[in-house]
Amino acid sequence: MKVKLLIANRGEIALRIIRTCRKLGIRTVAVYSDVDQESLPVAYADQRYPLHGITPSETYLSIPKIVQAALDTGCDGVHPGYGFLSEDSDFVEACREKNLVFVGPNPKAITKIGNKLAARKTMHEAGVPLIPGTDEPLKNEYEALEIAKSVGYPVILKAVYGGGGRGMRIAKSDDEVRRFYRVTKLEAASSFGRDLIYMEKRLTNPRHVEIQALANSGNVISLGERECSIQRRYQKLVEEAPSVAVNDELRGRLNDATKNGLGAAEYTNAGTVEFLIDQENKFYFLEVNKRLQVEHVVTELTTGIDIVEEQLRIAFESELNLSQNEVHVTGWAINGRINAEDPRKDFSPSPGTVIHFHAPSGPGIRVDSALYSGYIIPEYYDSLIAKLSAWGRDRTEAIRRLQNALEEVEIIGVPTTIPLYRALLRDQAFINGQFDTTYLNTFVKDMNTELLELELCAAAIAAAMRATNLPFRNRLQQRFQRSYWKASARATTQRRSM
Amino acid sequence: MGNYRVQVNGKTYEARVEQTGKRKFKVSINNEIFECHSFRSDEIISWSLHRNEKTLHARARSLHFDRVDVWLAGTPFQAFVHSSTSGHFRLSEGTRQRASSGEIRAAMPGRITSVLVKLHEQVDAGTPLLILESMKMQNEIVSPKSGRVKSIRVIDGATVRKDSILIEIV
Repeated sequence: MKVKLLIANRGEIALRIIRTCRKLGIRTVAVYSDVDQESLPVAYADQRYPLHGITPSETYLSIPKIVQAALDTGCDGVHPGYGFLSEDSDFVEACREKNLVFVGPNPKAITKIGNKLAARKTMHEAGVPLIPGTDEPLKNEYEALEIAKSVGYPVILKAVYGGGGRGMRIAKSDDEVRRFYRVTKLEAASSFGRDLIYMEKRLTNPRHVEIQALANSGNVISLGERECSIQRRYQKLVEEAPSVAVNDELRGRLNDATKNGLGAAEYTNAGTVEFLIDQENKFYFLEVNKRLQVEHVVTELTTGIDIVEEQLRIAFESELNLSQNEVHVTGWAINGRINAEDPRKDFSPSPGTVIHFHAPSGPGIRVDSALYSGYIIPEYYDSLIAKLSAWGRDRTEAIRRLQNALEEVEIIGVPTTIPLYRALLRDQAFINGQFDTTYLNTFVKDMNTELLELELCAAAIAAAMRATNLPFRNRLQQRFQRSYWKASARATTQRRSM
Repeated sequence: MGNYRVQVNGKTYEARVEQTGKRKFKVSINNEIFECHSFRSDEIISWSLHRNEKTLHARARSLHFDRVDVWLAGTPFQAFVHSSTSGHFRLSEGTRQRASSGEIRAAMPGRITSVLVKLHEQVDAGTPLLILESMKMQNEIVSPKSGRVKSIRVIDGATVRKDSILIEIV
């Protein structure tokens, strides 16, 4: 493909996009903040462009800077990845004004499903079942109380313009609705710029299942479902494709709902329709994700389709070169998101230096990560540092392979969520497929048992270490300790060679 | 080879170590047997650990005489090892002292998004003191004890390093 692409993102997803671009012969430009200067996507891209600044708002979220970078480097388009500007309608508009191709949905689709209420309306008109709730933003507390009474407690108050699992509050009584109404509104205003909120009934112990779709002007194909019920604070942690909870009949209905819904929105590019499935196997529309998702990997493993490539083909060649009968889901895939978070300290963030990184491998293993030995995980951005995925002929094989990968992976220097997944993959209920979105909350206890086991093993090794009397003084610490002198010298050389 | 007292996460284990081969050791803790085999003397030493017919891979290093860092399954552990005959834990007592001094330190680097208390204010154990944003997460830092705010070392929007003092409670 004879185009040049700016990647308006960082970390593993920027690297992921660059890999597909290199395969297709697309030239890439990486933008970077001051602390990302020595990151892998910056090294792998054909061209680099500094954004000067550190915080997201002065770098990866700055529409003027990103657009200017694309113009200065002569790019034809921008891939936003996930997070940051990926679902920002102002950014889409800014790209359109400067004749830059935005690798994502078209402006028309964005007006139809741009915010959560608009998406509910579009889906409802397309005949997709909705969770009982409001169609308009809540006007006041009294209206909120009335609606809560009619749909029944518990209810969720949600920001209309919210996303990423934030801006939500569960209320179980009139009292809580009164209390949370104002708080949610304030939070929505500060986090998303607009204080509109609405209400939905909260389903009891639902599963979260989503359909990955590719579309071109309302012509929609489905790449099958993903199971994303393993969540914590509305953040997905483990994703699978397909889902144990979905049989052929339900799959057919979910695919139809996705095609009708995205068709009605005249959707273009890759998108995901999220559903909740209740205990009677009834499904309800949750929301549309108008971007490449973190967990797209598992769908790539089961279908063999490079979703980023399809995104680029749709965006630059305006064609969907796949048809539904070319999509075959084979085997099973499972992914664990490795976050720099400390499971022993209530998953508090753990940025810092990775003194040693070793990626697992073997049949069916895929690692998406921008880590390397000596990498400093910055505290300014998301805590996701690696995605470990495994493919197998069936679910059991996929789980076994992921278990192996979790044994092999070495991320030394910062605490990560790995112990959680080790415990989870051994858990009988998980292995039997009996879990829902509330499962992980009750599971954390088992993880603590796992940590105690590991602690005992660590004690044994520490004793053996002491007994060996090996020459322990090592140079590794020195080797990776950042010398500001060296770092600045390296940066200067890099700038000169650009 | 000897008996050791190992302290990990504030817990103490009594370990008995026997050498069974060139780089092989048998460690017994709480009547459980761990067979440890170090197979490369790199800067960070690789260990293979057999226990209950299962094998675990670990890495370890020792930067100080009695301190050993062990990494197992993506989790770091810091251990203090003493020969059982040689008295008590010097280093661990130091950490205990720091915890009680009322200095509240940043557990992680980040940015202070709001300071919730005023100077000389009375606080109870569990009172939210400030919010530290790190990796897009809002972390509420609560008072570990009741007392009075003696000093506030940060302001809204300040960037803090790990372990820097934020607030002092007396």
